[in-house]
Amino acid sequence: MTPNETLPTDPAKEQSSECPVPPMSADPAANVLKTSRRDFLKSGGALSLSSLMGTAALMSQSGDAEAAVEWAEHFQKNYRLMTPAEKAEARLRLEKRYSDEYGKKVSVDTTEAQPGVLMGYALNIRKCIGCRRCVHACVAENNQSRGTKRPGEKIEWIQVLRMERGKFEQEKMNHGYPEGLGIQVGGNAYTPAGAVLEGQYHYNPEKVPEADATYMPIACMQCEKPPCVKVCPVRTTYREADGPVVIDYNWCIGCKMCMNACPYWARRFNLTTPVLPKEEMNPVTHYLGNRPRMRGVVEKCHWCLQRTRHDRYPACVEVCPVGARKFGNLLDPESEVSKILERKNVFRLKAELNTFPKFFYFYD
Amino acid sequence: MKKLAIYTTVLALCGGAFYAVSAAEQAAPAQPAPEAAKEVVCFESRKGASEVTQRDIKPGWPNVKCSPKTGAALWYGDPYDGTVPMGKMPGLDKIPEGHAVIKPRSEKLALMPMCGVSCHNGVGPQFSPPTLPKGKKPVPLPTMEAMVPDLKDLQHGRGRIWCMDCHHTTQRNKLVDHFGDPISFDQPQLLCGKCHGDKLRDWRDGIHGKRIGEFTSTGKKRWFTCTECHNPHNVQDGARNRGFVQLQPEPSPQLPRGMKDASHEKLHPIPH
Repeated sequence: MTPNETLPTDPAKEQSSECPVPPMSADPAANVLKTSRRDFLKSGGALSLSSLMGTAALMSQSGDAEAAVEWAEHFQKNYRLMTPAEKAEARLRLEKRYSDEYGKKVSVDTTEAQPGVLMGYALNIRKCIGCRRCVHACVAENNQSRGTKRPGEKIEWIQVLRMERGKFEQEKMNHGYPEGLGIQVGGNAYTPAGAVLEGQYHYNPEKVPEADATYMPIACMQCEKPPCVKVCPVRTTYREADGPVVIDYNWCIGCKMCMNACPYWARRFNLTTPVLPKEEMNPVTHYLGNRPRMRGVVEKCHWCLQRTRHDRYPACVEVCPVGARKFGNLLDPESEVSKILERKNVFRLKAELNTFPKFFYFYD
Repeated sequence: MKKLAIYTTVLALCGGAFYAVSAAEQAAPAQPAPEAAKEVVCFESRKGASEVTQRDIKPGWPNVKCSPKTGAALWYGDPYDGTVPMGKMPGLDKIPEGHAVIKPRSEKLALMPMCGVSCHNGVGPQFSPPTLPKGKKPVPLPTMEAMVPDLKDLQHGRGRIWCMDCHHTTQRNKLVDHFGDPISFDQPQLLCGKCHGDKLRDWRDGIHGKRIGEFTSTGKKRWFTCTECHNPHNVQDGARNRGFVQLQPEPSPQLPRGMKDASHEKLHPIPH
């Protein structure tokens, strides 16, 4: 088994085997470049490649299967440009690798978006009690790194912000603003709760909810116009047809441009090799979802694609003890989210940025 | 050449270590007995309402994962564990039969099956009926208060309701509707909706309350009923602020590099 066998031999054939309507990133220039690179590797690099593989096979006791897997993975295309056959092959490869690595049967789903589905999310900001169960359900479901020793080893996709409640006071009726500068810009009887969105992430009281606080969970907003997708130089992150913005981890170069672009602090970087104990690993995975990541790639919430593609609620929705989290199909007028949009007071976080999130906050 | 020799030595050592580890792993499943003996039970929405016992549906796939810190259910492998069909509910005709399920709690709540047999059966020889007080005021009975501590301080209705507004007079393991007919403890929404009609409508449409299972509007879901999240004897408590009992939060996230504690978060950017 050599990677050369998996590579397309005829450029024309490769072009025709792709989807009839090429996605945005399938510009012809990239294709030409790719084939020429492959040809070069095939002819010129074959010798060195095989010799390298031979060395690898000699040196590692597990045989050359693992090495071949590594090589095949190295040469696979961007997920959106892969043919169904290539996707199936990648899936088998990953399933074998993960099953060996984690000592149990791991499935890697490649289910596509279903027509007529546009996922949407709503969160009742009035109900949230800040118990952080959603954060940990997400970790249990999505195979994040959960080390504790070094910084960056523990990755959580959901952040729960504890925000103080501000108040107006009689005593401060004559206070100026800004304080201490002797400039009077009007009275300021208000005691602020902090700047916008500034709050505590590390709150840890005995019991929640506290009487003087409100809680605001934040995760990926799955924008309709995602800034992270705009900036990705390798186009590995994109919006799926049913809504979620996903990442092809294999194609990610770890440049962190998307992390800079995201106004919601939703993306996390695998700074270290992810720490994922075998017994805690969730064996039901999706290629674009919760399959184990490698070091140096960006990851984020994808609305539990491995669940929602099979009509199951995301993990955070299922554990919320107060039922603040709601999930549904925005195109179905009978769904929970559609009913909320119809009936309740709804806002989007940082709506002024025109990112059009499909994550809505609402209150009774 | 020398370098290669070093590499191979290192690899051989690593290989040896790997084999040792794998051998230890093979030896480990030999004693699963203590694990099986220790039963993990975690609570779902609020403590004391409903619990799940952890078990493996298939190897490596538990029905539920529990929080080691708080003992709360953190992840559902099987959302329909121990459920039964919800039964008739007005306005729910669009959902296919059997797609709305609940976890029955009447067995657990019927703490004293003898309640309805020995005293509150309505056909006692000396009193007729024996359980009905003369006035509509709760009379403190030490026996009852010892059995249900919540009774001492009823935090519901702000003094405008009493026991028999919700509980059936003669069938103490049932609730009561407007016509005096019994309602099962598994369908408290039929009772609560008498006053909280807006919440009942929102709950029916999925806006209020918790459901797990399939998210499609006709999919199979487990519905959490009113009393699985709210304690009906204690819904208005000053210490909390959203009609939900206080509970212990899960652990906070990892601190950023170089930070000893999170005291910086408590400082206000604007002095006041």
